[in-house]
Amino acid sequence: MKEKRFQLLILTPPKRTWGIIMRKSFGKYISGYIISFIVFTAILALINIFLFGWTFYNTFSQDYGEGSPQNMLDEITAASTATSPAGPAVEKLRDKNIWAMYVNQDGGLFWSVDLPYGVPSHYTLQDVAVFAKGYISDYPVFIRSTENGLIVLGYPPNSYTKLLSNYYSISTIKKLPAFTIIVLVIDFLLLFFAYYLSKQKIIKNTEPITNAIDALSDGKPISLSIRGELSEVAESLNKASGIINKQNEARANWISGVSHDIRTPLSIIMGYADKLTSASFLDSSAREDAEVIKWQSIKIRDLVQDLNLVSQLEYEMQPLNKKKIRFSKLIRAYVADLLNIGLSDLYSIEVEISPQAETIIFECDERLMTRAVSNLIQNSMNHNPQGCKIYLTLDVYEQSILLAVADNGIGISSEKLLELQSRPHYMKSVDERLDLRHGLGLLLVQKIIESHNGSLQIESEIKSGYRTTLIFPSS
Amino acid sequence: MPRIGIFVRLKEKSFQLLILSPPKRIWGIIMDKLFLNIKKIMLVDDEPELLKMVTEILKDDGFLNIITAASFHEAVSTSKKEKPDLAILDVMLPDGDGFSLMQQMHTFTHIPIIFLTAKDEASDKLAGLGLGADDYIIKPFMPQELLLRVYAVLRRCYKEDVSLVSLEDCIIDFSRAEINKNGETVALTAKEYTLLEILARNDGKIVTIDSICEALWGDNPFGYENSLNTHIRRIREKIESDPSKPVSLVTVKGLGYKLNLRK
Repeated sequence: MKEKRFQLLILTPPKRTWGIIMRKSFGKYISGYIISFIVFTAILALINIFLFGWTFYNTFSQDYGEGSPQNMLDEITAASTATSPAGPAVEKLRDKNIWAMYVNQDGGLFWSVDLPYGVPSHYTLQDVAVFAKGYISDYPVFIRSTENGLIVLGYPPNSYTKLLSNYYSISTIKKLPAFTIIVLVIDFLLLFFAYYLSKQKIIKNTEPITNAIDALSDGKPISLSIRGELSEVAESLNKASGIINKQNEARANWISGVSHDIRTPLSIIMGYADKLTSASFLDSSAREDAEVIKWQSIKIRDLVQDLNLVSQLEYEMQPLNKKKIRFSKLIRAYVADLLNIGLSDLYSIEVEISPQAETIIFECDERLMTRAVSNLIQNSMNHNPQGCKIYLTLDVYEQSILLAVADNGIGISSEKLLELQSRPHYMKSVDERLDLRHGLGLLLVQKIIESHNGSLQIESEIKSGYRTTLIFPSS
Repeated sequence: MPRIGIFVRLKEKSFQLLILSPPKRIWGIIMDKLFLNIKKIMLVDDEPELLKMVTEILKDDGFLNIITAASFHEAVSTSKKEKPDLAILDVMLPDGDGFSLMQQMHTFTHIPIIFLTAKDEASDKLAGLGLGADDYIIKPFMPQELLLRVYAVLRRCYKEDVSLVSLEDCIIDFSRAEINKNGETVALTAKEYTLLEILARNDGKIVTIDSICEALWGDNPFGYENSLNTHIRRIREKIESDPSKPVSLVTVKGLGYKLNLRK
């Protein structure tokens, strides 16, 4: 029995919130983060490589193509003799505006082509050592050593630059790969960090907004204060909340107004109907009619009271007046009141409070809690006009307080039970299709229990009674 | 034969009763309800139909003196002139609210006050009782609920007038803290006195264990159940003919006790 109760509790988990979801899948969230970042950097790298390749392809084809020093030197060297340069090669040199000379072992020239003015025709060993690496009168020169001498090509000034001191220590070169990798890793981490921070900032700014939207969809009022780009969104949300709030307030006030105004006329109807039920000058059938009027008026009264309370709770119009009280005392006081005012002989009430439950202190709104118990007992009576026994039990099970209202009446079928548990207008909210044929009793009970962090469980079998258990966490 | 037996017992008993208590006291016992019924009740409500109905309810139950007022000012002048013993006030009046009316009435009289109102917000109830109202009835109400509360308030406020209570097998004399049973007088202890008093005041109604313990041992009455049982047993020995089959001081299982007064 007790196990069954708790299974049912597990079936209806507490309402999920955005915050809980965030916390639960934080790992998943972060890994998604890293993957998206890696994809992003990979795409960036690909774009870089493509652009680099495209830009330098042209340069490389030019620098190492037909007119490149390497190529020209090859051609001249192959075609030249000590006495004269090769004809077609000379044409090509002129075409590209390059001059050439063949320096012999003594420093003189075998031949020269288009030697510009100012370029000497005799070179000492010292001269050769200097120009071999660089320039002759601003002309970048490229050399090729042959058997007999040195072929020298002079390119136009500013066409090539030559590195005059191109040496690096081996240890530096050896460090280079490690250095590159470290720099890349540091870059990668910095990029990720920047990316992460900006993402965090967005989440930090949007989280209150998503929370607020969540609250709004639950019908709770919100008030956001966000600075920066999202302040406009926050403002319109606040405005929407204000409008919804105002509408809710108007609706609750309207319901409360109607329920207020209906009370005095209803008192008069109930008073006179009750008087007529025992009027000696009426015959029995008229007295029975008066009895019907009386009971129907009581139904209207209950409906009106429930409707008002439900709307007050739904729109949080009324603060809960929570106090620490002995639960057992509340139950006894209520049942004693009920019996003292007078209970039809068709019904009997049995109260059973377990010794552990006797001293249980529970923080609750006494009036609302009494109302919840009262509605459950009324439900049992309303569904069993032929009369029934009602059992009220208070027990403690592990960390929970269990308050059960049961009867041995006609009960309900399993389909009806399922309907009762699943249909919104029985249990969930007045916003849904409001069907007053079944009254608001259970809905009000549900609202009251929600406001005390409790849960409710209904069990019934046809012809063997009906039981509602209220479960509260014991503090 | 049995008929004769009953006759003899009845005669004996009434004889004993006559001897034990002077006629004046018997009068007092019988007149408990009548005594309350002669109290003057003032009704204040702006709805004439409601005034008429409540008046009828009270009159049908035996109340003789009922006066009505339809507004704040009428209520003030009427209560000054007529000096009622109890006032039943509506909270919303055309020219003021019931709470201020009560405060104003408290400046010249201290009669008990019951609010009768269509408002059911908890804050209103607290405001009403905090200011010194004796009870609060929410519209719509059943006539017996109204009567119950009116009697309860009247008994509570004019209790000094009820010193003798007659039970099935004995008479309790609260002014002397004594029980008269079968011609013998037994004294009541202080706790027994308090216990019987709270039960007698709620004539025939269930009084919860919690209320009794609070009356006997103060605000936080934990673990006094056994002591309470002992007191109940002793009282039964004093008031019942057969303490093992009590007829006057009855246990209501799981809830509390009630004292059935002889009508």
